[in-house]
Amino acid sequence: MAKLIGKRITRNEDPRLLTGQALFVDDVELPGMLHAAFLRSEYAHAKLKGVDVSAALERPGVIAAFTAEDMGDAWSPGPPLVIPPPTIEDVEFYTRTQVPLVKDKIRHAGEPLAIVIAESRYIAEDALDDIVVDLEPLDVVADIERALDPDSPLVHDDLESNLAAHLVQEKGDYAAAREQADKVIRRRIVIERGIAGAMENRGIVASWDNKQQQLTVWDTTQSPIPIRNGLASMFGLSEHQVRVIAPFVGGGFGPKIMMFYPEEVLLTWSTLRMGKPIKWIEDRRENFYATTQERGQVHDVELALTNDGRILGLSDDFLHDTGAYDPYGLTIPLNTQCHALGPYDIPSYSSDLKVIFTNMTLTTPVRGAGRPQGVFVIERMLDIAAKELGIDRAEIRKRNYLPKDVFPYDNLIIDQAFSSFVIDSGDYLPAMEKALEMIEYEKFTQEEQPKLREEGRRVGIGVVSFIETTGVGPYEGARVTIESSGKVSTATGVGTQGQGHFTVFAQIVAEQLGVDVRDVHLVTGDTAQFHWGTGTFASRGAVVAANAVNAAASIVRGKVLELASELLETPEEELELEDGVVRVADIPTKSMSLGELAQRANPLRGAVEPGTEPGLEATAYFGPKYGATAFGTHAMIVEVDLETMMVEIKRYIVVEDCGTVLNPLIVDGQLHGGVALGIGNSFYEKLVFDENGQLLNASFADYLIPTAAEIPRIEIAHQVTPSPLNPLGSKGVGEAGAIPVPALFAQAVENALGVDGLEILESPLSPQRLFELLHGEETEA
Amino acid sequence: MKIEGEHVFNGSREDVWAMVRDPEVLATMLPGTTNLNQLSENEYEGAINLRVGPISGGFSGRIVVEDEVPPEHCKLVAEGEGRPGFFKGSGTVDLIEVDAGTLMKYEGEIQIGGKLASIGQRLIDMTSKTMIRQGMKVLDAALEERKANVMD
Repeated sequence: MAKLIGKRITRNEDPRLLTGQALFVDDVELPGMLHAAFLRSEYAHAKLKGVDVSAALERPGVIAAFTAEDMGDAWSPGPPLVIPPPTIEDVEFYTRTQVPLVKDKIRHAGEPLAIVIAESRYIAEDALDDIVVDLEPLDVVADIERALDPDSPLVHDDLESNLAAHLVQEKGDYAAAREQADKVIRRRIVIERGIAGAMENRGIVASWDNKQQQLTVWDTTQSPIPIRNGLASMFGLSEHQVRVIAPFVGGGFGPKIMMFYPEEVLLTWSTLRMGKPIKWIEDRRENFYATTQERGQVHDVELALTNDGRILGLSDDFLHDTGAYDPYGLTIPLNTQCHALGPYDIPSYSSDLKVIFTNMTLTTPVRGAGRPQGVFVIERMLDIAAKELGIDRAEIRKRNYLPKDVFPYDNLIIDQAFSSFVIDSGDYLPAMEKALEMIEYEKFTQEEQPKLREEGRRVGIGVVSFIETTGVGPYEGARVTIESSGKVSTATGVGTQGQGHFTVFAQIVAEQLGVDVRDVHLVTGDTAQFHWGTGTFASRGAVVAANAVNAAASIVRGKVLELASELLETPEEELELEDGVVRVADIPTKSMSLGELAQRANPLRGAVEPGTEPGLEATAYFGPKYGATAFGTHAMIVEVDLETMMVEIKRYIVVEDCGTVLNPLIVDGQLHGGVALGIGNSFYEKLVFDENGQLLNASFADYLIPTAAEIPRIEIAHQVTPSPLNPLGSKGVGEAGAIPVPALFAQAVENALGVDGLEILESPLSPQRLFELLHGEETEA
Repeated sequence: MKIEGEHVFNGSREDVWAMVRDPEVLATMLPGTTNLNQLSENEYEGAINLRVGPISGGFSGRIVVEDEVPPEHCKLVAEGEGRPGFFKGSGTVDLIEVDAGTLMKYEGEIQIGGKLASIGQRLIDMTSKTMIRQGMKVLDAALEERKANVMD
């Protein structure tokens, strides 16, 4: 087999993307298509007394306007996306899910109150101003630390408090570890909210064809198949009557896995009612308060250690802000709980999680999904421990790594997939050594830094380790077909948002079948092409879907060999698949093309053996026993300008171990993007809410996303510890780049400032915030 | 948002007081005011067009005057809403006799929501200061006019 897996192959999809030949939802234009706009609440918390759309309906060009009342029995709070874990004892969980249109109570700014459908978006937007809303503002829950106070207003009046969930996970005996410890360090860590900020906002086109009795929905979702299944069940249609297409999507990053957004329900309900296609494309301000967000936690952490820096135990009581509803269950905070253990041997652990309802936009996973918070907690605590115990920062990590011979290693707590948090494989020390070598840690800390400090320059270095659970089940599938042209089509259920699926999956197929990578045509995200699967999330495409593709391609390879063996009258072992033909290894002229074989496998006349399947095609599925855990070490050198408090990243090192690297070009690209998002999370991106739940920076003029100018050159090294859980040995890498950055940034900046007692225990930072930390909060900038 | 400041009027406290309690003067004070009606002795309702950076549109609202101690003190409670968002706030106005005339001290707190807050945030402070400055100019002129009329 020609080796294609692991090759740096440029992307199959790029010519289409770069020349404007790729279909995005907003490119969908249908005859007679109408346009929708949503009236959204500007208040974060209010009693809704009435919504009067009569004036809007009189505006020329307005076709319809609906409120919750108009929906009748179709109005219902959304089904939960992730059910709370039944496997954890004594878990308290109160399911409260989002509604399609507010009926009686507004719970966050941005909740839709009415939908207007008009001949154009302009008319629809203008008509929103004609709607009269009668509401009574209520006191707002905007501070997770005060949300559980007895006198706090309630987000959900039928609950006793704003507690959405309470869950304690324990391993070993933390109290005893604390007793034994030489050193116990206690800190409070605060992590604020940010957005995903995908380049493409959400968008939906819904179309009901009455003659074909067929519903087609183009949706920017990361999860087309569950959307199809859900819409069919919600509206009483057969799943075969519903086709959901997630075409090219300009960035997912997590919020597009959320379902059902109110807009998905309303566009579908409206098109079924009106019989006309309807389009809605989210605008940027809507994206800021109607699309889900993440981070938002407060941790009270305690780390118990021996004098030589060995961790005896970790305790973490933390609050997690779920926003106004909790359809995504405990995925984010469970990831936080797991990742706070890091790559370390932590014999005892006590983690007490309280999930809080607030009058803010919902939180669901954003690239990293709770992991950056867990990594921030353990890495910052280790930094403080190192300082207090007089141990080098890299050294304290080395002393606590799980050794390479303990895997699979059971952490004895439950992870986000509700199974035991088992790390499949790992080898942490070489990744750290490599990062230290690349950044010249020794030389920088011993020679360069002291010299530059003497010159008055505030330079600092950081180095952090992390793990990342990836590639969780349940399963994905793929169908591989050799067409009569000899080209290969491959269909899978996961949607694509820029990950390079068209290339990586093609490489796998091409390697199995001996064809050109460019001759493998991939279809993703169209339920008419493949309709089993869950979606693109949790860094699982290259693990779960890729292994399904590999399995299907391998079966097709078997079929090719069997048929060719018969037709070429040669044993299978003597055949090879190269350059789109099957040939006898020693007699290259004795061959048949894959196209010819495909035709022979699908004859138009004649008899075949009973039980024979036509064509050279196979469908296969892959579901791992549990997730594959990637890991790595990042290091950086920064300089802080004391006059502007800007941070310049001088060097950035990534040592990543995502198992088998399927395509280094694409993996590096994922890491670049991840690190960039992480840098945003560390220094630029913070959603600022006031005490009334009003978002104060809902535009890219005020909410800063780092640009190319702020992102340094990223130096990458790969270490390969294959996952034993799948045949390709791959692990996910989509989120990896983002996960350790806030912890690393805080450490490096703290080191650069080099002020006794100055600890950075929050994320994100900003120039203003650094100034306050350095000069005291009361000082006016 | 906090609003705080002071302004010296070239006139007696009584004149300044009478002026600020005159709806006709108040209606001219804030640029963009489209109407201002006195509902009762202490209650006004009105409409104003505002532009804050990229955000513009009409607000309608009401102002109630409380804790009135003529001619030295009153409290203003205001709320309103419109296409660009909503606001709610209260503040106090004190008039103090000084050598140069009358010192007006004002302070208050306004909560702002909606598009005005989420997109216009960083411009609100500057815009409100400009509006107050312009308003004080109008009042200065009105005071001069009032004094001239009295002298006539």
